[in-house]
Amino acid sequence: MIAQPANGRWVIWLTLLGAVVLHLVPLSENLRWWRPDFPLLVLFYWVLALPYRIGVFSAALVGAVVGLLEGGPPSAVALGAVAATVIILITYQRLRLFTPLQQSIMMALLLAFAYVLERWLEGFVGVAQSDIRFLFPAVTSAFCWPLVRGLLRGLRRYYEVT
Amino acid sequence: MFLKQNHLGYRLFAVLVLCSVGLFWWRDHAALGGVRAFATDVTGSLYQIAGTPARLWDGLGEFWVSRTALQEQVRRLEQENLVIKGQTQRLAAIMAENARYRALLNSAALVANEVMVAEIIGVTPDPSRHILMLDKGRSDGVTAGLPILGADGLMGQVIAVGENHSQALLITDLTHAVPIQINRNGVRGIAEGAGDLNTLIVRHIAATTDIKVGDLLVTSGLARRFPQGYPVAKVISVELAPGEAFATVHAAPLAALDKGKHVLVAGSDKPSLVVDTAQ
Repeated sequence: MIAQPANGRWVIWLTLLGAVVLHLVPLSENLRWWRPDFPLLVLFYWVLALPYRIGVFSAALVGAVVGLLEGGPPSAVALGAVAATVIILITYQRLRLFTPLQQSIMMALLLAFAYVLERWLEGFVGVAQSDIRFLFPAVTSAFCWPLVRGLLRGLRRYYEVT
Repeated sequence: MFLKQNHLGYRLFAVLVLCSVGLFWWRDHAALGGVRAFATDVTGSLYQIAGTPARLWDGLGEFWVSRTALQEQVRRLEQENLVIKGQTQRLAAIMAENARYRALLNSAALVANEVMVAEIIGVTPDPSRHILMLDKGRSDGVTAGLPILGADGLMGQVIAVGENHSQALLITDLTHAVPIQINRNGVRGIAEGAGDLNTLIVRHIAATTDIKVGDLLVTSGLARRFPQGYPVAKVISVELAPGEAFATVHAAPLAALDKGKHVLVAGSDKPSLVVDTAQ
C-alpha cells in the first residue's frame, strides 16, 4: 500500500482549491452563519479515501489557507483541521464501513471538534466571540457530506487517483 | 502497519511544533513580514477568482444598460457634482478660517488628508469577523494602520498589506476599538466593536457624564491611529443602572458597513485620486 505510486494528485489539489474558492462566495448576512465548510469536507474525504496520501501536513496547509482567508490566526484553524484529520487517520477503516447517515453525523462531530479547538486557540492568542452560532456550519456540512462524497468518489474513480 | 503509525507520530509532532510557533509569531513577528504580505496577496487573488462570476454578471448588466438611462445618470451625477463642488468651495474658506482660529489658540492646524478609492473585492467568510479585502496594496501607497472611510463616516483600518491587496478591519469587529469624543462637548471615550454590524459599545462613560441619545461621536485623534474629527457613530441608547459607576452606552456606526463597493483609504502616500481640501 505504501509502495503504491501516486497518481492523479492534481485532482486532489484541484478539488481542494475549488472548495476554498467556493468558501469565498458571498452570502447574505443571515445565511453566512450556515455556510457549509466545503474546504474541510473535501479534505476529510481525501483523508478517508487516501489516508496514505493526504495526512496531517495537507490538513495543516488547507487549514492555514482557510484561516488566512477568514482573517483569523491561520495556525488555529490549521490545528483544528489537523486534530480532526488525526482522528480520521486512526479510525478510517471503521469510518469507511459506516452507513451514509452515520458518516454524516461523524463529519458533523469532527467539524464541531475542529471548530471548538480553533475557538479555544483563538481565545488563547486574542479574542474569540462567545457565540454558539459558530457550530452551525457543522450541521449544514453534515447535510452536504453525501453530495461531496458522491462527487469526489466519482472523480477519484474516473481519474484513478491513488 | 507499525511503521506507518510511527510515521504519523513524527509528522504530527512536526506539524504541532510548526503550528504552535505560528500561533504566537504569525501576527507580530518582524521576520514573517514578507510572508504575511505574500499571504495577503495570495488570499486577495483567491477572492478575485471567487468574485469573478459576480463581476461578469455585473459587467453584462452594464453592457445592456440603455442609452437613456445612462444619459439620465450622467445628468444626475453632473448636478450632484455641481452641488458638492459648491459646498467644497465654502469648505476651503472655512478650513482656512479654522486654521487661523487654531493658530490663535496655539494649537497645530489639522493635517489635510489625501484619500484614495479602493474597491471591496470580498468579505471574510467567517461571520464572527468583520474584515474586508481591498484591491489596493503597498504599490498604491497603502500601509497598515491607515483609516478606511465610507461616504458617511469611519469604517475601520487597514490591518494587513500585500503588494496589490490589503485587508481592513471594520470598527464593529470584536477586536476593534476607536478613541472617540462627543462632538457636542468634547467628552472623550472609547467605542468598541461588539461583533454586530449595527452596534458599538462606548466604554467607561461615568454615570454623571453629559451624553444623550443622538449625540454624534467623532474620532478624538488620541492614540494617533485615526486623525481627529472623522464622524464614527451616533448614540442610540444610554442606560443608567442605579449603583453602577458607568453608564451602558450603545452607538450605531454612521458608515454603511455592509453596503457599497468602494471605500476611501485616507492618508495614503500615493493617492490615485487627490482631494486636497486645504487649497
